[in-house]
Amino acid sequence: MSEVHVAQKTYKMPPVEGITIAHFLTVTDVERSLQFYAKVFGGRILSKGDSDGAPGYLQIANTWLIVNVGGGPTPDKPTVTLSVPPDPNKVSSFMNVRVADIQACYAEWRKHGAEFITEPKPKYGETRCYIRDPDGYIIEVGQSNPDITYG
Amino acid sequence: MPPRDGFTVAHFLTVTDVDRSARFYERVFGGRILTRGNNIGAPAFIQLANTWLILYFGGGPTPDKPAVTLGVPDPDVVSSFMNIRVADIQACYELWRSRGAEFLTEPVDKPGETCCYIRDPDGHLIEVGQSKPGVAYG
Repeated sequence: MSEVHVAQKTYKMPPVEGITIAHFLTVTDVERSLQFYAKVFGGRILSKGDSDGAPGYLQIANTWLIVNVGGGPTPDKPTVTLSVPPDPNKVSSFMNVRVADIQACYAEWRKHGAEFITEPKPKYGETRCYIRDPDGYIIEVGQSNPDITYG
Repeated sequence: MPPRDGFTVAHFLTVTDVDRSARFYERVFGGRILTRGNNIGAPAFIQLANTWLILYFGGGPTPDKPAVTLGVPDPDVVSSFMNIRVADIQACYELWRSRGAEFLTEPVDKPGETCCYIRDPDGHLIEVGQSKPGVAYG
């Protein structure tokens, strides 16, 4: 059983009670994307999916990535088409990787083959930079300034 | 969050109205609003199950992503989305509907899972899925 621990609670995939949140990416090549997230971020490949429609599953830090190829509407989403990002420069949502040491992550993940758009830059309350994944998804990498807390 | 070592993965959503979205994720899913953000660059943070949502307005390129514009989605052409895996999809469907979630359809039986979708206030797609008994990952 794949599980993570967040705030003294255990979340399993699939959950045996309550909910567990994952991040779905439409990809061109399931195997290529799984290898990318495993290699760069140390994600653990749980399932490679298959050509009958089963997606790839990868555990990464506190969550899971679910990756599959795109396609037209299905009975449960009759008007929605899934595709890789049609325009990589128009973005509405993305994976946001919050890190403890951005310079270390920048150096290590570059070494593992991640392509960063820029080096880390100071912004409001944080230092951040962005990676493009093999399908053009942006991935934010950000380190909050030392005095910032949430909740 | 923020992590003291290693990294923690969150999900960023571009929204029209940060407060409206924060209240939606709080009311429907029981998310905990950690900060409501402000209009000068600080996003809202919401803790939800094993992850965090980070909500903020869209906008043009910034020095760290010089070609990228953030905007709310085209609701019918989707590339990535939050995927909520649940233990009891009928219970979640009824509870979340009663709290104001708009589902595209009722839960639909598919190979390996039962699945339905919610639209959030900006049209972001949210999958709700229950794996069939016997399905395991890892």
